[in-house]
Amino acid sequence: MSVVNYDEDVLIKEQGFDDHFHDHHHGDKYQSNFITTYIFSQDHKIIGKQFLITGMIWAIIGAGMSIIFRLQLGFPDDSLTWIKPLLGKWITVNETTGIGTLAPEFYYALVTMHGTILVFFVLTAGLSGTFSNLLIPLQIGARDMASPLLNMLSYWFFFIAGVVMFCSLFLSTGPFAGGWTAYPPLSALPQASDGSGAGMTMWVASLVLFVVSVLLGGVNYITTVLNLRTKGMTMWRMPLTIWAFLITAILGLLSFPVLVSALLLVMCDRGLGTSFFLSEIFVGGEALNHVGGSPVLYQHLFWFLGHPEVYIIILPAMGLTSEVLSVHARKPIFGYKAMVFSILAIAFLSFIVWAHHMFMSGVNPFISNFFVIFTLIIAVPSAVKVFNWIATLYGGNIRFVSAMLFAMGFVSLFISGGLTGIFLGNAAIDIQMHDTYFVVAHFHIVMGIAAFFGMFAGIYHWFPKMYGRFMNETLGRIHFWGTMIGAYAIFWPMHYLGMAGVPRRYYRFDNFETFSHFSQMNQFITIAAIIVFFLQILFVVNFFVSIWKGKRVTTKNPWGATTLEWTTPIDAGHGNWPGNIPAVHRWAYDYGKDGVEFIPQIVPLTDEEKENEADLH
Amino acid sequence: MADLSYEDSKKLVFKGMALLAVVTLIEVAIALVGKGYVIEGFHLPVWLMYISMIGLSLYKAYFIVYEFMHMKYEVKGLAMSVLLPTGLLVWAVIAFFNEGNSWNQRRTLIKEKNAETIDDTRKSTGSIIDLKDVKNLN
Amino acid sequence: MAHDTAHTDVIPEQGHLEHKDYMDSHDGPAWGGGKRPFKASYGKLMMWYFLLSDAFTFAGFLIAYGAIRFSMPTWPVPDHVFSAFPGGFHGWPLIFVTVMTFVLILSSVTMVRAVQEGHRRNKRGVMFWMALTIIGGAAFLGCQAWEWNTMINEEGVTVTKNPFSTHLQGGTYLTGAEIEGAGFEKVMTETHGKTATYYLEPGAEDIEENRLFVKQNHQKEVLAGESFKEEDPYLITYNHDTHLYEPSAFKTPDGSIHKEAFGPIAFGSLFFFITGFHGFHVFSGVVFLLIILINVASGLYHNRSNNYEMVEKIGLYWHFVDLVWVFVFLVFYLL
Repeated sequence: MSVVNYDEDVLIKEQGFDDHFHDHHHGDKYQSNFITTYIFSQDHKIIGKQFLITGMIWAIIGAGMSIIFRLQLGFPDDSLTWIKPLLGKWITVNETTGIGTLAPEFYYALVTMHGTILVFFVLTAGLSGTFSNLLIPLQIGARDMASPLLNMLSYWFFFIAGVVMFCSLFLSTGPFAGGWTAYPPLSALPQASDGSGAGMTMWVASLVLFVVSVLLGGVNYITTVLNLRTKGMTMWRMPLTIWAFLITAILGLLSFPVLVSALLLVMCDRGLGTSFFLSEIFVGGEALNHVGGSPVLYQHLFWFLGHPEVYIIILPAMGLTSEVLSVHARKPIFGYKAMVFSILAIAFLSFIVWAHHMFMSGVNPFISNFFVIFTLIIAVPSAVKVFNWIATLYGGNIRFVSAMLFAMGFVSLFISGGLTGIFLGNAAIDIQMHDTYFVVAHFHIVMGIAAFFGMFAGIYHWFPKMYGRFMNETLGRIHFWGTMIGAYAIFWPMHYLGMAGVPRRYYRFDNFETFSHFSQMNQFITIAAIIVFFLQILFVVNFFVSIWKGKRVTTKNPWGATTLEWTTPIDAGHGNWPGNIPAVHRWAYDYGKDGVEFIPQIVPLTDEEKENEADLH
Repeated sequence: MADLSYEDSKKLVFKGMALLAVVTLIEVAIALVGKGYVIEGFHLPVWLMYISMIGLSLYKAYFIVYEFMHMKYEVKGLAMSVLLPTGLLVWAVIAFFNEGNSWNQRRTLIKEKNAETIDDTRKSTGSIIDLKDVKNLN
Repeated sequence: MAHDTAHTDVIPEQGHLEHKDYMDSHDGPAWGGGKRPFKASYGKLMMWYFLLSDAFTFAGFLIAYGAIRFSMPTWPVPDHVFSAFPGGFHGWPLIFVTVMTFVLILSSVTMVRAVQEGHRRNKRGVMFWMALTIIGGAAFLGCQAWEWNTMINEEGVTVTKNPFSTHLQGGTYLTGAEIEGAGFEKVMTETHGKTATYYLEPGAEDIEENRLFVKQNHQKEVLAGESFKEEDPYLITYNHDTHLYEPSAFKTPDGSIHKEAFGPIAFGSLFFFITGFHGFHVFSGVVFLLIILINVASGLYHNRSNNYEMVEKIGLYWHFVDLVWVFVFLVFYLL
């Protein structure tokens, strides 16, 4: 075949199907004023933006906290008096020297809140919440989510969860300070520490609200993907983003309820005097009445959520990366089906490996063997994905735009962070490595920074769809290179700290002979962290300025992508397509096929054209 | 219920009720007979009781889901998308119960060790742990 | 097009986008899009997936229960614990909970009938069977209330105290004279206006920890002199006059004197928590059923294009509650 000639609007009109959308929309009474359009909106695109912006606010708060405790770790003797206006009583100023020190309890509160906020509010809600909402209806060809009302509630439950958590920061006893995993007894005994009282209660309340949000969203995403796909959009024609969001939603649906179980039992231990997670405890020299429970039981329940949660964070980033890599390499994704099956395999394995977080908590070593084996098997589907991404890049006509740079950065980070996971997954090596900076480095690279890179790739790539404008490309590249180098500068040295045995969650190290010679390395990490933090501020500025001042998008499909979201009008209204819903005739990755640069999914196959391999099932 | 007439499906419901009631009665009967409440001195082996009661409960669950909740009449994909994920719990059950059992063993071991009187005559092997104890630790 | 736009306004869960004509007819030509693979409306699908996640919440609780139970050297024997029956009957193992289970099964059956009548668009039929279902649910809650009341107020089980346990060795309960003969002092004190009689080792400091009682049951029948075997269940009597638990003295074959120990406290806390969580589901089910019954009565669903699907959805939830009870019944009462 030679050149494909098509006009998208004509195609949608002729090939698409009429769902009588306009018969019901004589003036959209659901978007009649500012409040229903932008605040209590039921449009998935607006809800996606709400998730994104709320997530960005939380990211700044969470990252800001990390800067404060990094200052403490890098420069333990320097004065923090300048930050007293913000932290108030948590900075004690020595009256003679004028040196302000961070209260140790608040250091723990900061670490705890940093973890909680980043894991749940930013990388779960901010990432999968944003892009599932934005992309699922657009890429499968639906007017909106299955239940827009529940979708809206999903955001507002997240918002309230955030408000509760935010309020807990201002408690006189401080927010919860027992680590984001909230292990008992610190979480189960209100008198265990300052933050274990009201702080923990609010932490639990916030997380339960958050789980409600995840479930409302997840049930919606799954149902939408399964039941609302447009004509011709078979499962094997879905872009990998949609596969990733679908599996992510399933993971959330199955794992978050178990967290609720654990938290409700913790609340009983706190309030009713039960002993699910407590046994033979002394506080202040006095024996408590709690007998017969096990703190390890909580850890099991927590990590039954906690490990799938890691994939809830990383799978959407993988999906976004796959899509962005393919579009900007102008090549079909390599091994589409292998990608899908590896997502499924990872999702399955994520439910049977949880105790590898607990090798040193007193888990029976016999059962640990199985957890080691299952854990190491995850390397296989992960490696398949990495191989396919690299193979997608190979020989591609790569456009080095910001989105593409971040997607490639994701692959880099996923490799280097993933490899250290193989170390930690071995129970024997974990004896040395557990609870050291090696662990911190591992999970920050593989699911923290990598997930952020996937998110940035998504934001730069779909910004034109969200706001009808481009983000500033120069600032984007500065953002990428600074963050890429900076992220490695922060976390690479941490591997060495960890291998030397430097424990995580310590307030300061200079009292330890063994660790004191790492002080310069800690300073280096802190400085790198501050630079990276300000680069993210640069990104936020770029984001908001571009919303109003960015270069306008002039064509519907600025990146030359094949998926359905680029067939909607630039400023798509509620319902996404003004007339018919487009019908789909091919998979999402027809790039460079038969000499044509790209063929959108809505273009019918010509007579002599063969479907791609993924369609032949 | 598209493939059944109204009268048939009505009958099926009351059959289902009878079935569930009978299965529940059998379960209770196994519990009572097996533990010697009915016939003096007659006991069933514990494993047999447990397996049969778990099996019957799973059958009840299957019946409720497939008949009462109409899973039987849904598309296979829908049924699988709901039922297969519950398989993820199998390993959780094994691992958690194994853990519980191991806590029990350790507590017993600690209790025994606390009650033990130290045998001073035993010669030092140079090893910190007595190999005999290692076996018990599991 | 059978429906008008005004009609949409009264469907809250439908949101604003009227998907109806291509969503809610099962296989009619109106669906212009791709095949709806699951041939079910989005509402039913969402209910299924919600139930799946709720199943994992219960699974979390029940698996935690299993882990804790496995970690205990003893566990109360269920047919000893659950052997009371309304009307002051005792020693009827598992009879009352069997009745409770029947009640729940019955209410499930009436729910299926309500759904079937919904398929026939028989409004009166739906209302009749739903009302029966609500009565069944309420009756179940009533049974549960009675059971909790018996356990808490008569037998003295609380979330932090469990007087039910199992003997780890055989022995014989001692009479007052035998205990005194072994060198214990008889003490009589006033508590709550009644006299409590117990026996103390001379010089014992912690009275609450060390006092011994003569075995008597809740009906004040003295059981001293009775023998028991290893693994026999027992209940530490809660004296309603003195408000004291009465751990009794017994003698083992080797001649040493022991006192009944309290059972694993996790039993009470897990029982109340998990049956309470299930009861909460039943309660919310009853509330939803009531709301939907009122909606049915008002004729709301009768004219909807998806008819009585709301009844089907609450039906799914209701059967799920029954389903959970199958497992609660299994692990708490049977095993």
